[in-house]
Amino acid sequence: MAKENEEMNSSGAGSSVFEKPERAKAAKQPVSVYIKRYWQLYLLLLIPMVYFAVFKYSPMYYVLIAFKKYSIVQTVAQMPWAKNHGFQYFIQAFKNKDFIYALRNTIFLNLLDIILGFPVPIIFALLLNELRFKFFKKSVQTIAYMPHFLSWVIIYGLALQLFAPANGLINILIKNLGGQTVHFLDDANTWVKTYIGLGIWQSFGWNSIIYLAAISGISPELYEAASVDGAGRFQKMWHITLPGIRPTIVVLLILALGNVLGSGFDRPFALQNNLVMKNAEVISTFVYKYGIKGLQFSLTTAVGLFQSVANVIFLLLANWFSRNMGERGIM
Amino acid sequence: MKKKVLSLLLAGSMVVSMAACGTEGDGGQQGVGVPVGEVNQQTYEGDHNEIEGGSSSELTDGRFAETRHITVEVYDRGNDGGSDPTDNMYTDYIKKGMLEDHNVEVEFVAVPRWTEVDEINNLLAAGTAPDICLTYSYPTIQTYADMGGVIDLQNLVVDNKNDIPHLWDWLGTTNMYWDKSVQDGTLWALEGKRANNNRIVTYVRQDWLDALGLKAPTTRQEFYEMLCAFRDNADTLLGADASKMIPFSCSADIGWRAALLIESMIDPNITDKEFYVNGFDDRKYTQNGVKEAGRILNQWYNEGLMMEGFALAESSDEDSYMKAGYVGAFMHNWDYPFRNGEDSINANLARLVGPDAKFVAVDCFEASNGQYIKYCDSTAGDRKIFFPTTNDEPLASLLYLDWISDPAHIEYLQCGDEGVTHTVNADGSYSFMAATGAAIMNSGQNIDMTITCNGLCLSTPELTTLSLANNYPPCDPADVAQANAVANNGKKPTKNAKITAIEAETGMGEALNAKRDQAWALSVTAPVDQFDTVWDTNMEEYLAAGGQAIIDERTQAWEALYGDKTMLD
Repeated sequence: MAKENEEMNSSGAGSSVFEKPERAKAAKQPVSVYIKRYWQLYLLLLIPMVYFAVFKYSPMYYVLIAFKKYSIVQTVAQMPWAKNHGFQYFIQAFKNKDFIYALRNTIFLNLLDIILGFPVPIIFALLLNELRFKFFKKSVQTIAYMPHFLSWVIIYGLALQLFAPANGLINILIKNLGGQTVHFLDDANTWVKTYIGLGIWQSFGWNSIIYLAAISGISPELYEAASVDGAGRFQKMWHITLPGIRPTIVVLLILALGNVLGSGFDRPFALQNNLVMKNAEVISTFVYKYGIKGLQFSLTTAVGLFQSVANVIFLLLANWFSRNMGERGIM
Repeated sequence: MKKKVLSLLLAGSMVVSMAACGTEGDGGQQGVGVPVGEVNQQTYEGDHNEIEGGSSSELTDGRFAETRHITVEVYDRGNDGGSDPTDNMYTDYIKKGMLEDHNVEVEFVAVPRWTEVDEINNLLAAGTAPDICLTYSYPTIQTYADMGGVIDLQNLVVDNKNDIPHLWDWLGTTNMYWDKSVQDGTLWALEGKRANNNRIVTYVRQDWLDALGLKAPTTRQEFYEMLCAFRDNADTLLGADASKMIPFSCSADIGWRAALLIESMIDPNITDKEFYVNGFDDRKYTQNGVKEAGRILNQWYNEGLMMEGFALAESSDEDSYMKAGYVGAFMHNWDYPFRNGEDSINANLARLVGPDAKFVAVDCFEASNGQYIKYCDSTAGDRKIFFPTTNDEPLASLLYLDWISDPAHIEYLQCGDEGVTHTVNADGSYSFMAATGAAIMNSGQNIDMTITCNGLCLSTPELTTLSLANNYPPCDPADVAQANAVANNGKKPTKNAKITAIEAETGMGEALNAKRDQAWALSVTAPVDQFDTVWDTNMEEYLAAGGQAIIDERTQAWEALYGDKTMLD
């Protein structure tokens, strides 16, 4: 990640033409010359580097806890190695039924999120782009991304008022219309739909911003040319807008796939309850329950490590796949 | 060695005498009036004379030469209109007293009451826990002790014994050594003492009984019939709000909120061994007979006697249903409807529904031998006080515990100033009044301030009993007295098996509790014909997830210590 930043920073600084000749001379000049000449830029670069070193890289040392018997008073080096060549906790995790459920649910819920949730902001952005009345467009956009700023705890509070079986507004309405109570929150299978639905509702507006930005980068000349050729709205959307934002879609899809085993904490944690736990327990809440609440730090570090490694594998696979399909990929 | 044996014997004899006190009420007496003899557990014990202790050279007349600084955990209950838990009349009293008597500066650290275990875990893991910590969860302490994160108090309390006389007098060897390991003599925590070990009571709406011409239920069957009557007469009782009727209110914590029903199904002749082996779950999930209680609750739920989706309700939601008058009956802490003064459930009912509307205590869950058994804690089992290894001032911290165990200080912290928080009656008892501002107590009898003492404790037991009923203004003292009588009827205190460390329990508490609550919720809400399957599958999972390992290890530990004996002396 640090490297990425470095690249981004240097390319950002060197987007001007005169950097290339400098590079060519690089072999002859010592590094200190560059540092002297661009010291302000290097100084700026230091900030993200320190951030990543302190918050992302140095904690990695403590990944060792996964292979050791954790103690609160010993340093990582002092802790004794766990049984089974250090893999005791990995074995323990995979023998734990709850972990297997959590793993299954994480993958299942995240895949559903991608399949059902990923296209929504794209469609929304396309539709929004077709609106010609500026004020209306802006208001719809603002309203759509407002839920993004609500915390999941508040969203759950709203959901409870709306969807609770006995006295939720929606259920009261359904019952008064002569229907049967719908167990939005307390039936394990219906809960999945509520979870996915609330997720889409909360994030599609926000996620569409990046597509709208990509769309605005498409040259208007293309649309004009297409109009001259007699293309209709839908054809322009299909043949110009969509291909225009395809690289963006691919990058975001790769990132989303790289997160299939990851999951936010607050969304599942806020929405789950005892009645739906068999579908609602995900890795992050499992780690919280066993690790922070149950004090099994080694076990949950092992789970966390497994999750990260699996995520990297997914990411690389997705990246490799997209490159083979002729797209740019992310690295 | 001699000392150890002696203290063990003493502790043992205390347990026995405690058990004897507890079973006194088994005769099944009922009705209003408080049996005075029942509250005798709060006298000072002073049973530790045989333990020879020392005193610290650091102190001159109980004072440090240089001012020391300690931090103390205090629960934050987030009460509406409460006082600042870290800065009120009582914290000021303690701070001033500690500085004058011991030259120790006290700083309070607020920890949210309802997530205290999580919170204290976080603080401990981060190394920022207060010097004096308390929690209801002993496994949490044990786990940290195993990691070397907790100070062993064994030598500390003995070596400084002469400096902490009030603490020894108040806790006695029983509570002082309750958590002392038989195996290696370590002492990780001191058990705060329950001056009042009342636990759970069943409450029903008196005005609804009257409106329907029903008697207060005295058996499980009558209770059930009463719930049916509430349900069937919702129109009469609630009028336009009939659809909001909740005959029996419960939360996701079914093991607590239906405890009396559940415990009445346990074999009353259960051996101490069996009770101990399954005693790791404080909701008694694996005890015998509990499944049948589950079946009854399942039936109630399916007959519409409980709220649909009750397992989703937050406890504050549930409280507001009770206050608004939609709830017919519930089980909860013995003084629940009287708590919080003007905002108490009964005060709200009187205001919102009518002057007659109130919850009263009933006794109606009989065990198979016809007795109304109330499993309860001994004087131990309250908050456990421990010092994390980050505590640099163990002596000053001990002096703090000593200071707040002084009977005069306990009395002030519980009663406050005359004219501000109480008035004195002709018979010498206190009548408590609703306080304002910094004089508001955030917890009943200010137990958050008196961490070594839970429950009202005045100079004599008689005075305490008389004053207890006056302790919940504006609620009717007669109702409180009745609840106290019901809570005391058939008490069966837990005995101390003196086995502390069970390795299989380490770190499993929270995960198993969560599994148990899930199992309860799923079983109770299952269709009647699927109850057996749901219950058995969930129980199987619970046992496989670690429950069985604990049961096995507990059985072994018991047999190692007591052999074939199944009852404690």
